[in-house]
Amino acid sequence: MSTSDGAVIGSAQIFGSAPRNRAFNVVLLAEGFTTAQQNDFNNACTAFVNAFRATPPFDELSPAINIFRVNVSSTDSGADDPVAGGGTGATARTYFDATFGANNIRRLLVCNTTTALQVAAAQVPEFTVVVVVVNSTIYGGSGGGVGTYSLAGGATEIAIHEMGHTAFGLADEYPYYAGGNETGHDHHPAGEPSEPNVTTNSNRNTLKWRWAVASSTAIPTMSNPNCSQVDSRPSPVPMGTVGLFEGAHYYHCGGFRPEYDCKMRNLGVPFCRVCRQVIWNRISPLATLAARARTPINVVARYPEHLDVFAVASDGRTMSNWWDQASGWAGWFQVQGGITSPGGAGSPITAVDRYAGHLDLFTVGTDNRVYSSWWDISSGWHPWFPIVTLQCRPGSTVNVVSRYSDHLDLFTTASDGRIMSTWWDVRTGWASWFQVQGGVAAAGATVTAIARYPFHLDLFTVGTNNQVYSCWWDERSGWHNWFPIGNLQCRPDATVTVVARFPDQLDLFTTASDGKIMSTWWNARTGWGNWFQVSGGVASAGSPVTAIARYSNHLDLFTLGTDNRIYSTWWHEGSNWAGWFNVSGGVGKPGGQVAAISRVTEHIDLFTVGSDGLVYSTWWDGATGWAGWFSLGVT
Amino acid sequence: MDNVSQPTPTLSMRLIFEYDGDHVRLVSQQPVDVAITGFDIARTQHPGWYIDTRDASGRSLARVPARDAFSGSAEVFPEQHGEPITRTAVAKPRGAFTVVVPVPEGADHVAVVRVAPAQPEVVVPASRATSAVAGSSEVTELARFPLQISR
Repeated sequence: MSTSDGAVIGSAQIFGSAPRNRAFNVVLLAEGFTTAQQNDFNNACTAFVNAFRATPPFDELSPAINIFRVNVSSTDSGADDPVAGGGTGATARTYFDATFGANNIRRLLVCNTTTALQVAAAQVPEFTVVVVVVNSTIYGGSGGGVGTYSLAGGATEIAIHEMGHTAFGLADEYPYYAGGNETGHDHHPAGEPSEPNVTTNSNRNTLKWRWAVASSTAIPTMSNPNCSQVDSRPSPVPMGTVGLFEGAHYYHCGGFRPEYDCKMRNLGVPFCRVCRQVIWNRISPLATLAARARTPINVVARYPEHLDVFAVASDGRTMSNWWDQASGWAGWFQVQGGITSPGGAGSPITAVDRYAGHLDLFTVGTDNRVYSSWWDISSGWHPWFPIVTLQCRPGSTVNVVSRYSDHLDLFTTASDGRIMSTWWDVRTGWASWFQVQGGVAAAGATVTAIARYPFHLDLFTVGTNNQVYSCWWDERSGWHNWFPIGNLQCRPDATVTVVARFPDQLDLFTTASDGKIMSTWWNARTGWGNWFQVSGGVASAGSPVTAIARYSNHLDLFTLGTDNRIYSTWWHEGSNWAGWFNVSGGVGKPGGQVAAISRVTEHIDLFTVGSDGLVYSTWWDGATGWAGWFSLGVT
Repeated sequence: MDNVSQPTPTLSMRLIFEYDGDHVRLVSQQPVDVAITGFDIARTQHPGWYIDTRDASGRSLARVPARDAFSGSAEVFPEQHGEPITRTAVAKPRGAFTVVVPVPEGADHVAVVRVAPAQPEVVVPASRATSAVAGSSEVTELARFPLQISR
């Protein structure tokens, strides 16, 4: 009983039209179907497709899903059904050598997984998961590297549950190992499981799926009063409520699941909200990202061979993508279920890397409160939490500065325009919000901050009279009063961009009320210079100017022009500003922004929302010049 | 965008492994045009089995999880809705699994590794902290196999 007992006939795509190299590709293999029974296999595949497509969230993700069938003929029909496993003793000569009764359990249906993977790889090299469909009406199936299921009613559920493990890394949510009467499974062992849908943590503030829990839902939502047995009481809350239900991951107590029921706990029920989100974050990165047109993109290089990009989807979701020199672009995923405030240009996600293995994110949520999340190389992403209790302007930007690795300073605008700050220090945690020196920003203006030294901060904003203001903080003397920088009249919603090419120099860029791109500078020896227009440039209404300093005597600027094309210019010490030029034919959305980063001195990476609403990127390299724009997804 | 291009994709390789207890062998390696998303490229040190792509010096260039590999148990499904799904221990783990690994410049071989927490896992910090206390993990190599690359 082996591959000599049949033949691979061929394959056919039976669902989906996504590019194979950017899709979730499911392969169904025929087992125990004779040549004359191939139509039965085809019908079974159609039934699987219907069941799969009807299972949320696969119904919403179908543009990124392909399903293939691989017709394989076997000499005999069915599968082995050994007596030792409670079966009839029947034997069948089949290609994948399927048998019921593995481990002497009749319903445990297994096959030669090596052969299954090799056939799938030969027929559909891009496959993601393989499922073997066994031609028998005896109920059975199994998981592992290859899922198997029979034609008995409801067995497709086995395949979808097993996909939860194999393709999405989900844990079993049932609260027992062997049905509930086993010993040694009263209490979950210490330690947090790595899977995203089970936990041992009952703290609401640090719960890994806190983003999905309503504040009115009790935590724990359901506790097991008797750990010697499984809690079989009905749910105290309506089905679909996300909370913390005790009994999960094979243990009666101490392990928790997100909802009362889930397909990872019981067959025949939907995936819970948390599992659906995990599945979404596995498949949606294969697609491009439609972003909010004017919400700034943020990019961080934790080290030169790595980029983390943060953008806001058109529906407000907090999205991230990352690039690593070794593996390319990872694809867009939603960060911890976050949704940002839609006011104005929309609240962006600001990010800071206090050290190479850590990211801190900040944004304003739909309730206009400031939220933070963090990623750490040792523990991954942590849920968004509010930095109480400030109410911001809808769509406010939270700017963050890390003067040293154990400290963060935050700046944003309150609902009444007051310029507010707080700080976090590893020793003391978060401080309370305070107004910075009575400052009030113009409607839509942001607060920009820079740390030229670890003991010094400079802030910039557009005041209510539409002039640029600055103030500073020094460790020895504290906060100093706001003062105007010249008498430039800005757009009220202008951003003041600042770059410190070296610690005793500041270069400022902003847009005047008529859209002119203006600059000034400060030097410790000479003080503030006068505002001047940069090479005659005029920005698209609302577009900020992005500036980076690759060297201490060099600046690169980026913005959208009045024709919404993406423009750049540069300055090098000893020469005048260059003329503005269009970057690789790039066109953005009116009022859009260009994010720029130089992870190595002779390299620039740019990001923007293109005229079609998708996020694009390009790069400049000193050796090769500007590349073409590409839609940012996965490579 | 008037000038649209695509970045050069990283070479990917599909690997099929077969295991019998602690013994693992690489059955096949096949270059494949597949995008590997961040979901499958491990950036954190969660416990589990992984496949490392390494350079000649042994430095890890990329790591992908080998989900469901070396499982010591099997799931048994109920025929009737409402009856429990159960697990049964497998005396000797046996089977096969596949991964698609990125093969960047300098890749030389792959290694099957197990990441285990050396101490109780991450201690969840108190409310409003921004950092978790890291639990250091321990990486054990089970086997390594040369990559056959033709670019």
